Parts: sequence; C-alpha cells; structure tokens
Amino acid sequence: MNTVLELENVSKIYGHGHTAVKAVDNVSLQVKPGEIVLIMGPSGSGKTTLLSIAGLLLRPTDGHLWMNGNEVTRFSEHQLPSLRLHNVGFVFQAYNLLGALTALENVEVVMNMADVKGKAARTRAIELLTLLGLEHRLNHLPADLSGGEKQRVALARALANNPPLILADEPTGNLDSKIGREVMELLCCGLGRDQGRAIVIVTHDHRLRDIADRVLWLEDGKLSEKEVNWNGDELLHRAYPSSTG
Amino acid sequence: MFKLAWANLIHERVRLAISVGGVALAILLILVLNGFFAGFQQQAVSYIRNQPAPLWLAQAGIENMHMVSSMLPPDTLKRVTQVTGVKKAVGILYATIAVQVGDALVPSYIFGIDPSDPFGGPWSLSEGSANVALNEIVIDQTLARRYNVKVGDSVSILGYNLRVKGLSRGTFGIASNMVFVNKTALASGMGVTPQTVSYIMVQPEPTANLDTLAADLRAVVPEANVMSQSFFIDREQDLTQQMSADTLRAMNTVGYLVGLLVIGLTIYTATVERAREYGILKAIGANNRRLVGIVLIQSFIAAVIGYLLGVMLSYAIVGLADRIFPDVVILIEPSSWLREIPTLVVIVTLAGLLPISRVTRADPMVVFQT
Repeated sequence: MNTVLELENVSKIYGHGHTAVKAVDNVSLQVKPGEIVLIMGPSGSGKTTLLSIAGLLLRPTDGHLWMNGNEVTRFSEHQLPSLRLHNVGFVFQAYNLLGALTALENVEVVMNMADVKGKAARTRAIELLTLLGLEHRLNHLPADLSGGEKQRVALARALANNPPLILADEPTGNLDSKIGREVMELLCCGLGRDQGRAIVIVTHDHRLRDIADRVLWLEDGKLSEKEVNWNGDELLHRAYPSSTG
Repeated sequence: MFKLAWANLIHERVRLAISVGGVALAILLILVLNGFFAGFQQQAVSYIRNQPAPLWLAQAGIENMHMVSSMLPPDTLKRVTQVTGVKKAVGILYATIAVQVGDALVPSYIFGIDPSDPFGGPWSLSEGSANVALNEIVIDQTLARRYNVKVGDSVSILGYNLRVKGLSRGTFGIASNMVFVNKTALASGMGVTPQTVSYIMVQPEPTANLDTLAADLRAVVPEANVMSQSFFIDREQDLTQQMSADTLRAMNTVGYLVGLLVIGLTIYTATVERAREYGILKAIGANNRRLVGIVLIQSFIAAVIGYLLGVMLSYAIVGLADRIFPDVVILIEPSSWLREIPTLVVIVTLAGLLPISRVTRADPMVVFQT
C-alpha cells in the first residue's frame, strides 16, 4: 500500500560539538492513507521537532522523508511552501487563526493561496464550516469565537485544500473534554479516516490513545511503536465516557 | 492577498489613520509648496501678461525684468514709433527700490509711466486714478490695507514724498510688489534723461505681421532685444523657477521623506507586530513572494488613501488661504498632483521594502508556541 508520509532514519541535531542536542534520533515511520497515528511522549522528547519535520517546516539533519512517494528532503527551500499548502493540513494547540480575518476568510485564505478563488473558495469554506457546525459564526472574528469554535475553524482551514495528511499538535490542549471529543470526532472520524486522510497527532492527552490506529512513544528522540486494533467510534466513546456519542 | 492586506490594515484603525495621515501630510506639503511657487511665478509675470503689447524691447542681451537692469538710449522710443506697422509704442522706466510706507520699507518693482500713454500702468484700479503727477504714486490695495494707507496719504521713495493717487489690484504678491510713479520723476531720481526707457511695449497695427514687424524693429534698433510677449513671459518664468528650484526641491524632498518614513515605519511596526501571523501564513503554505505582496499591498493602500486625502486637503487649504491671505496665490491644478504619482509609487515601494526582510525571515515554527 502507498504511504502518505514516510520517514527513514530521520535525525535532527540542534547545535554543534559538545553542545549538540539530538532532538530526533534515527526515526523511521510510515503513515498510510486513512491511518490515525498518535505520537506521545514526555515534554522535551522531540515530538514537536518530529512533527515539524513531517510538516516540512524543519529540515532533518540526516535521513530521508517522502510525501506521497516524492522524496521531499531533496526539494529546495522555496518549493516547500507549495508542498505544505497542497499536501499538509495543520491543526495547532493555539489555533493560529489570523486575527484580522473572519472565520470564513480564515478558511478562504488558504484556498486563495492555492489559486482557488472567488465563489469556488467561498462555497467550499462555507460548506466546511457548516459541516463543522459553524454556519452561524461565519463572519465572526477569531476574538469573538470560543476555543472550540476556533479549533473547528482551524480544522476547516486544515481541510480546505483537501490535503492527504493532517498534522495536529496538541489539538485538544486548550479545550475541555466535551469540546475536545467533538473536535476529535470530527477530525478523526468524519473528516479524517472516513475520507482516507492520514492523521498524525502529537499529544500529551492520554484520552486520545484509544482513537488511534497506532500509538507511538517518543522519548529522547527515539520512537517505539504499539499496535491498537479497536474501532475508532467505540474508542472515542471510551476516551470520552461523559459524552453521549 | 488583497483581502488579507486590507483586513490587516483596517483591523488596526489607529495605525491606518497614522499611516494615511502621514502620506496625506506629505502630499499636502508638496502640493501646497508647489502651488505656492506656481502662484509666485504667475504673479511674477502678471505685469507683462496684462499689457496689450505683443512685442517688447529690452536692452540687448536682456530677456527678463527680475534681477536685471535694462536701459535703452533716449531716442529709441522715437525710432520704434516710426517703424511701419507700429500702432503704438510705450516706454517705461523700471527699477527695484524699497518704498517706505509708514515705518516699513517694502521692496518693490517701480514702474515709471507716462500718464498720457494708453497702457503701461496698472491694469486694474480699485480706487483713485493712475494719472500720476510728478509727486504721485499708485500702490496696491493690499499693501495699502496692510499699512492702513488711503488715497491722499503719503509714502516715500529714496526720501521723496509721494501722494497716493490710486490703488491698484493684482499687483501685490510675495516678493513682487508693484508701484507706479510718473516716469519723468523716476528718471530724475535715477539720474537719467526723461526720454530714457527700460522697456518698450509695442502694439502693432491690426494688419501687421508680428514676425515681420519684429525683424523690422531689430533692423532699426539693433542695440535692443526684440521679444514676443510670450517669449518674455517664458523667460521670466524660467528665471523665477531657477530662483526657487533649490528651495522647491528641498521642500519636496522633505515632503517625500516624511511620507517615506511614515509609511515605512507604520507598515514596519504593523509587520513586526504581526510577525507571528506571517509565521503562521508561512507554515500553512504561503511563500515569501506572497508575504512580500501582502506588505506591499498594505503600503499601496495606505498611500492611495493618503494621496487622495492629501489632494483634497490641499484644495481645502487653497480655499482657506484665499480667504485669509488674498494676496498669496497658491495654484494647484490636476497636473500638479498627477505628476506626483510616479514619485509616490517609488516612495511607497521603498517604504514597503523596509519590513520585507522581517517578513521573509518570519519563523513558521511560531505555530508551535502557545
């Protein structure tokens, strides 16, 4: 089966000589379409560095990285933004919405960057935001939205260009358990696995372990893997027992 | 990207107001100063323009009235009058002397006129007459108002008291005050014969060809410079432009620098404050070209709004100045503000370049900071 994301012996070293720190140490990882991979680990274990490398925001010191079969470690710096734009959707703990733009415009802007403009962009943005239950908040600025609403706008933005890979960094970090469940349900089941998207989630949230196809443990930059074979919906229910879902 | 640039601008209204206000101020400064000098130029040629004489004679080598002295031999006027095709020739004496009005010395252009001539004197009077006797003078109504002088009062030139015979209009401006005295009296004061003239104005017969008449005059009076009225006006304007060019350039540069700094600093501040958002944009797929585009669009929007506001304010200032200082002419025409556009484009591009290095160095890793 093809992989959406593949890392082969990837390392990242910060600094030089005796001050060098190996944040990611010889990591290899394959993520298939529709697969949900959870990366957990203690603070400072290299999770964010690994996610940054996977998201083409940071170049590895060693190793190779493939995205949809293309070796992207060979791509030049100016080619990477376009690769990110079309292949990766990001969801961050801090939402990272653009404060001057409305919810609708925050979603439209990434499509505009991908040359989807005008009515086509607007229609898809409205469609996504409506799907995420934000049809009544389209023209609100991020400052006027709740944390859950902001994260759903961020989710819509991540999905706007229909990328095959979603990378999420502590997506429930600023949300309470009920809202966290709703967001994860949308991300993993409704808009992720069901549509064949691969999702890599970096988190401290143990409640998310059960929704993943695989849970990886990162410690001191080294990755180890555990297999999980449960059904996603059932696991979401287990992860968030207080919900009615 | 226009939408994002616009949204960023209007999201920070105070900063937008500062940016737009700065550009408007710079444009206002440039247009009003240029208008002021254009008005000065217009006033400087008003005497020549208002005389019904298509041909003018000055001393050979003299092409101006300002900053020069022209003297033609005593028999020149008589010889000119005898040339076929000349309907009327009028000679004037001209000097630059201070007129004492009360305690003030007002630098003035003194025109010595023969009251019996049909032209050569003030072209518009608000009061009194221009039929000046040896001890009389016509001064501008604005000058009279400023120093509370009335018809019948006295002013003096070089110690000679002269009674104000009339008040003229349109003969007072910044550094171009005109007064009219009796030519014989002025000749006496200057120590020349009454027949001596500085300039001769020629009104041709209706059937005369101007070029032919000018050639005939050159042949008869080879010691004089024969010019058309339009040439004489052009030369005067060239001279006043040269006189003011350095000042004008300096003030324009100040205006442009104000605009450059205001746009540059406000856009730079906005960029620095939004560094995180530029990092986010970079993370989600915007390339440097796009980010630079956002910054430049912001600069251009601020500049266009500021420019239009500046033009409107300039016209408002002209209207206001006209009421408060009627003797100060500020000329602003569409060509005045249209010709500033290319320079403004360059200025705005330069201003936009200031924050570009900040934008291109925006760190996409900020997306992981909480």
